[in-house]
Amino acid sequence: MGEPINCREAAERLQDFLKQELTPELEAEMQAHLERCRPCFDEARFEANFVLMLEVRARRVECPAALRARIARLLQSEMERG
Amino acid sequence: MAEPSTAGRQFNAEALPHLDALYRTALRLTGDPSQAEDLVQDTMLKAYRAWRQYQPGTNAKGWLLTILRNTFINDYRRRKLEPIATDLELVEPHALYRAIEDVDPEGAFFAKIVDEKVLEAIDALPPDFREVLVLSDMEGMSYGEIAEALEIPVGTVKSRLFRARRLLQSSLYAYAVETGIIPPRENHDG
Ligand SMILES: [Zn+2]
Repeated sequence: MGEPINCREAAERLQDFLKQELTPELEAEMQAHLERCRPCFDEARFEANFVLMLEVRARRVECPAALRARIARLLQSEMERG
Repeated sequence: MAEPSTAGRQFNAEALPHLDALYRTALRLTGDPSQAEDLVQDTMLKAYRAWRQYQPGTNAKGWLLTILRNTFINDYRRRKLEPIATDLELVEPHALYRAIEDVDPEGAFFAKIVDEKVLEAIDALPPDFREVLVLSDMEGMSYGEIAEALEIPVGTVKSRLFRARRLLQSSLYAYAVETGIIPPRENHDG
């Protein structure tokens, strides 16, 4: 692992960290910082809760059954036409 | 009813499981249930006709969302004549966390806002920001997948996502204060 990162670097990496898009090395540095820095840990938790909340809201919206059936029929006739 | 061909069965198996994701995204992009339905239907027909060009093993959800988004841009966006925000037009909103860490450090108030209001706040975001937020945070697409779908650089995806989240947090916070979900900040002038 590289040099310990500071709070400013941690803040810059937070978004990528929450998207799980950091390289393993950068992610390990971020983890190490969050383990020993309470303010950054708290901020990361706040942002993570926010994103999780959005994901949960999204999952509750479903494709209406009538649309699903209409699409199945359309595809069926499209497939029969070849 | 005739049996679907192998290609047809494959298409059904790969594409139909993503109808919820397509419908949700269509709803957020169009802001209108009946347009969303038309958009999903058009997308599925286009996808079926383009099925031969699709490389099996690539991400079917990303591929379908790309078709949906292109169909939206070409056939739907202009109906609504939405203003297209550029990245520079918006003032940088402040990080909400810093403002409320003493009152609500875990952001518990977000969970107290009903779905409908959260979705309304998302729909009110400028379109360029909204689509990145929807694809990333509601549909779980990666930076790379979004960049490909929207034909924009990864750096633009990141900055739009950053701003979209901040704008959304500010507007949800304003709503929460207005409705008494969260107490207003005490204002010590100076
Ligand atoms: Zn720190």
